Amino acid sequence: MAVNRRIRQFFFPSLTPTLLIRVFLVSLFAYLFFGYVCTPFTIQGISMEPTYPDGGFNFCWRLRYLFSEPKRHDVVAVRFAGSQVMLLKRVVAREGEHVEFRAGRLYLDGKEVEEPYVRFPCSWNLPSRRVEKDCVYVVGDNRNMPIEDHHFGQTSKVRIMGVPLW
Amino acid sequence: MGVLMVIIGIVFAVTVLPSEEKRVKKRFQLLSEWVSKSPEENPITMLQKMKDIGTLFFEPCELKAPHESLSGSYTRQEISAYAGSARSHFSQLGLKFYDLHIAFPQKEVAKVTLTARLIGKSMTGDQVDEIRELECLLKKIDKKWFFSQIEVIEVLKK
Repeated sequence: MAVNRRIRQFFFPSLTPTLLIRVFLVSLFAYLFFGYVCTPFTIQGISMEPTYPDGGFNFCWRLRYLFSEPKRHDVVAVRFAGSQVMLLKRVVAREGEHVEFRAGRLYLDGKEVEEPYVRFPCSWNLPSRRVEKDCVYVVGDNRNMPIEDHHFGQTSKVRIMGVPLW
Repeated sequence: MGVLMVIIGIVFAVTVLPSEEKRVKKRFQLLSEWVSKSPEENPITMLQKMKDIGTLFFEPCELKAPHESLSGSYTRQEISAYAGSARSHFSQLGLKFYDLHIAFPQKEVAKVTLTARLIGKSMTGDQVDEIRELECLLKKIDKKWFFSQIEVIEVLKK
């Protein structure tokens, strides 16, 4: 009987002030945590394949760059006007570096850079350009498409919202 | 009792009465509705939507999209014609707006920053999924808001 009562009490608790405060605090924490700290998102598009396949689910960890700067090869979420729609891209160059593509290979300051995460064939050619101050250069992992169809380029660091949790 | 009436009055004013912000959002909703296209859309609906799209714009409306060959000032007729021509290339089209930030820098002027996403299927069967950040200026004339300037913000610079 006591077990039954406990089970009933667990699923149908009495509406006491303590319970209401607990519900309020849990809801507030969930709202703040999932709204501003660890935002859930779904991946739509193939630009980060095969690392992040189309239709995948993840969380954006927004405290990642609170005390540090994005590093080369980090995968980052780049915002537009807000956080409802973001681009998932990989940082390939930082401010001051010269970035270039020759026959699908990435060159930074004239030196070829190994990119183990690029698995599909690529034949891009892009003349050298310098990454401006307070910017990073981001590209998707899937470069098996015409260069004109792929959204990439330099973006301001303030647009980087965070990193995917896995 | 008096306090309760005041609270009910405030809640009513905030939720039911249309604020300027809601009026501005409504214009974006209409634009989204009229640009969007279903595969079953008939020619009469198509013509009506083309005409309706033009009514949302101030004359002339300035478009600033240097990377998409669209920059310039356009009349309502030109915008309607351009929208009609662009829509005819798609069998299905959906325009959605996200993250609208509305400010009123001057009287009768609204500045809206937002993310626009255009998803569709072209007549040749290709999938289209384009996202842009836009900065729009709207002017208020006779209690209605009209798009007077639309600028495409460059998020990624190749």
